[in-house]
Amino acid sequence: MSDLSRRFILGGSAFAAAAAAAPRLNLPFLFESAYAQSASKPMMFLGAEALTGNWDPTTHTNLGQLIFESFVFGYLTRCPMKASNPEELVFELATAVNPIDTYTLEFKLRDGVKFHDGKPFGAEDVKATYEYGSQPDRPAQWYPGPVEVEVVDRLTARIKTEKFGYPASLFYYLSSFLPIMSAKDVADKKGLAAHPNGTGPFKFVEQKGDSTIMAANPDFFMGKTKIPGVTYKFVGDTTTRTLALLSGEADIIERLEQEQVETIAAKPEFVINKAISVENKYLWFRCSKPPFNDVRLRQAAAHAIDRKVIQDIVGISGYPSQAHISPVKFGYVDVPNFPQFDPKKCQELLAAAGFPKGAGLPELEYFTSVGFYPKTKEYGEAITEMLQEQGFPVKLTVLEVAAWGNLLYDRPGGGAGHMIDCGWCTGSPEPDLVLRTHFHSSSKRITGIVDPELDAALDKERNAASTAERKKILQTETLPLIAEKVPSLPLFTSVFIHAMNKKLEGVYIYPNGMQDVNKATLA
Amino acid sequence: MMSTEDVVSTAQAPPPAHAADRSIVARICHEAWGATGFKIGFAVFVTLLLASLIYPEVSPLNPTKMSIPEKFIAPVLLGPHWSWLHPMGTDQLGRDVLLRSLIGLRYSLLIGVSTVVLMFAVGCVLGLISGFRGGLLDTAIMRLTDAQLSIPMVILAIAILGVSRPTVLSIVVVLGLSGWPLYARVARSAAQTERKKEFVRGARVLGASDWRIILLLVAPNVLPPIAFVAVLDIARMMIFEAILGFLGLGIQPPTPSFGSIIADGRKYLINAWWIATSPGFFLALTLVSINLMGAALERARNRVYGGER
Amino acid sequence: MFILALLLRRLAQGVVVVLLTTLLIFTLLRVVPGDPVRLIVGGMAPDNVVEEVAHKMGLRDPIIVQFGRYLGGLVRGDLGHSYQRPKSGAEAQGGAYNDPTRGEMASVSDLIMERMPLTLQLAGIALVFALLISLPLGIAGGRWPGRWPDTLAFAAGSVFVSLPNFWLGIVLALVVTVQLHWLPSIGYHGISYAILPAIVLAVEISPFLIRSLTVSVSAIMREPFIEAGVVRGLGPMRIVFAHALRNASVPLLNLLGIQLSTMLGGVLVVEYIFDYPGLGQLTVNAVLQRDFPLIQGIAIVTSGIFVLINIGVDVLAATIDPRLTE
Repeated sequence: MSDLSRRFILGGSAFAAAAAAAPRLNLPFLFESAYAQSASKPMMFLGAEALTGNWDPTTHTNLGQLIFESFVFGYLTRCPMKASNPEELVFELATAVNPIDTYTLEFKLRDGVKFHDGKPFGAEDVKATYEYGSQPDRPAQWYPGPVEVEVVDRLTARIKTEKFGYPASLFYYLSSFLPIMSAKDVADKKGLAAHPNGTGPFKFVEQKGDSTIMAANPDFFMGKTKIPGVTYKFVGDTTTRTLALLSGEADIIERLEQEQVETIAAKPEFVINKAISVENKYLWFRCSKPPFNDVRLRQAAAHAIDRKVIQDIVGISGYPSQAHISPVKFGYVDVPNFPQFDPKKCQELLAAAGFPKGAGLPELEYFTSVGFYPKTKEYGEAITEMLQEQGFPVKLTVLEVAAWGNLLYDRPGGGAGHMIDCGWCTGSPEPDLVLRTHFHSSSKRITGIVDPELDAALDKERNAASTAERKKILQTETLPLIAEKVPSLPLFTSVFIHAMNKKLEGVYIYPNGMQDVNKATLA
Repeated sequence: MMSTEDVVSTAQAPPPAHAADRSIVARICHEAWGATGFKIGFAVFVTLLLASLIYPEVSPLNPTKMSIPEKFIAPVLLGPHWSWLHPMGTDQLGRDVLLRSLIGLRYSLLIGVSTVVLMFAVGCVLGLISGFRGGLLDTAIMRLTDAQLSIPMVILAIAILGVSRPTVLSIVVVLGLSGWPLYARVARSAAQTERKKEFVRGARVLGASDWRIILLLVAPNVLPPIAFVAVLDIARMMIFEAILGFLGLGIQPPTPSFGSIIADGRKYLINAWWIATSPGFFLALTLVSINLMGAALERARNRVYGGER
Repeated sequence: MFILALLLRRLAQGVVVVLLTTLLIFTLLRVVPGDPVRLIVGGMAPDNVVEEVAHKMGLRDPIIVQFGRYLGGLVRGDLGHSYQRPKSGAEAQGGAYNDPTRGEMASVSDLIMERMPLTLQLAGIALVFALLISLPLGIAGGRWPGRWPDTLAFAAGSVFVSLPNFWLGIVLALVVTVQLHWLPSIGYHGISYAILPAIVLAVEISPFLIRSLTVSVSAIMREPFIEAGVVRGLGPMRIVFAHALRNASVPLLNLLGIQLSTMLGGVLVVEYIFDYPGLGQLTVNAVLQRDFPLIQGIAIVTSGIFVLINIGVDVLAATIDPRLTE
């Protein structure tokens, strides 16, 4: 654990230096597979989440669809987020990034890339994509704010943020996150929603029942993949996914739990891939209504929960990180004042808040989901018991995913219940995709928290002049302040577990579950 | 709240001619008691009932308290790690499977039996009236049955159980609502056959009211076969409750019902088969015991009446 | 002739029943918590976007107006469009988009028709298996009450009914498919994939058939006409097949008609476990995704099927035993 964070501290370099040095890796495995036409089979991937059916990448927050997009679309850069080098950026549709000034970031683009419909890729596509995707009314609103993109020439685009008052450097890591759409499609939203058209290694063929069928793109700029096609199939049940892999119906499956991993690992024909993900699981407090509008009660609850017990329950699916962001995010540190299990402190805080031993507290409803995240019901029961032990009158309600999803977000007057379980997973090391989204009063998605001190700390880190300074502010001010205010309690960082048939070789799995099969083979 | 025995004894309602004669019931019971099957069934059922009522109260273990280091302990002699403290092993959170199954048995019996009583009562009343009266009333009741029958249980379940936290009562209502048409249809078709029979016609000629005839002449002949299906239905309702749990609409934790134990344990079936299997074991045991008693009573009844109907 | 009249009358009533169920299901699904629009636009979309889309889709009109609109479509065979499922991309690419929110989504009737044959096939195989299990056990049990065939029928019924379908499904898949490699079962690439799921379904419904057969056959064996048959010199098995079965078939038919409804509950779970791409799996996913038009469409189509089946059962019962209709 400390091993990881040490690397982060060592990796602290100025933004300009990082921009100049890190992304030198210019797609190392380029063109290698161009003429390889082996007898590889199409790959069958079983996903745990159903796709939304609207192919516009800005319309959803669906992890399954992000995986789909990583096959079909291209990105300016990709961020492998390897624990050994979390800040590495690999150029894809971009070939260079240059900071011009605080509010301008210039991307040089790759020449000769074509969309699946034949249209050549250029700066106008970057402009269309970024200006559209950063609009505040897009449901997948991951961005710090709107942008303007200036088309300098056919292969040069400049991201400008001055008008909107925040530094453009934020788009450094965000460049690995938004799939590049064709300007033609962005102009025709219905087409965009109806047919995915990217520059990626696979073309969308058809939707057949729960299967989304893709075929290799012969004009892919890195060369046609050896695998002739990929099928994303939604299978909601973990046991069924496991059985499908074991019986040879699937080649690769995701979202496994300890027990299934043990079963699969015992068989020599399969390999397990484990990766610390960008997803933290949290216990979110509804901070805009009593009783958790009182920071002391949130702290008391945080001190009542022994995260070791939760770790024991989730087993290999969890990694005991100690911050509100995952260890593969920019700026991660083991926050020193992270709330620890401490019943005595919990009782003091309860008494100070006017509820000694929990007396006088209303019944607290705690929602969790079952069927998507590993072990939610199991550790939900454990958390309920630990809170009850300290006097919190907690009632756990386990909902199926759709019902839970409806209750998830903050509403005027406070979201449903008092606590809710949820993870947050974004395909970029950019920490603001979590922090600002949830803890700044302009967004406050689940917690509904409005706290001027938090706002100030978040603005300060966002507006930092350099990456090094930003990291320092994050680690010494912002993250400790969030840990102190506990608008949500991070329970652990998810470890994404994929299992695959040994015949499938050369797959890289990103920490948000996206896959790179550009040079993979499947015998 | 009716117990399981009541359901069974409904099947043994004495034939009309002797309706007032209580000693008939005693004779049947005496006759049945002589059968080995009845004794076994009775012994098993009483043991189960007592175990589920007493064992959890006296056991030093806590059914909801989790102890993660002790998770996945196998049943005695059936795995690499086992302990006499947990005769049927422990579950994914280190809780005793035997204890939870026995508590689950209480909830599941409660759900199963009350649901069946509800379905049986509603279904048979409507079915008997429908079959005996015929005409417009029959048509109306039967079409209502069709309509109810054709609304899938799952939809009813998400509509009713999705509104608020599912409770035993709301689950019973959902299952009962989706199950009564079966009884209505079967009762109706039997009542139709009955009403053609001599003694019913005779009673009519003698001026007995419809209600009287249904209650005293038709029902006792029609209900026993249906009651046997009802006994099986108790088990089926316990399983349906598990399906609700499977869809996330079951009883909420930490209450252990068979449904929630099976639905949660399903994930671990490959590694720890005993978690999801033990409720099934108790379910089978309960059913076999009820059925053994039921079958013995049925035979006794037939002997008492010499096969006459 | 009276059979034809009965059929016509029942069909007319059937239409009324389906209409009634449609209204009921329609209303039920609209009072269910869980706003489908929220799921369509994504969790983080601001509330005004949700309202905008909801208005555009007509979801904020009074229920009766929505129902009228829906019924209008239903008459034309249009069950609406899924909220969540896209049309096949190839189709959508060249198509013209008349309606911005719906044109690109798959039509509910297409989705159902695509899955229906698979589920019918599964149900058909399951029914055959169920009868193969139940007929011998049930008849033998009823023929020799209190003897070992009766005990066997009774034991089989008790064990079968205690096996939760998802337990049995997983165990079968694990043993037969994964360990022994005898039969494939996860997914669907041909009829062999339907066998294990069908066995699970058959095990689920057969206890009721066995039970009902045993009870009816044994009851009929005590009827005077059976003894008359014996007096007339007919062999006991002959009597069973010629008379007892005929008489036992009416309650059995009734039960079968209703068991099909039970089977749908089983189909949901079994298809989900085996990843069998039929109507049941579609339903579970539609429920989990709150895809209301799809849930509604499935519910209405299945209710139509039940009504038809039960009409069929009544007509058949009336043919076997004409006393039932007078």
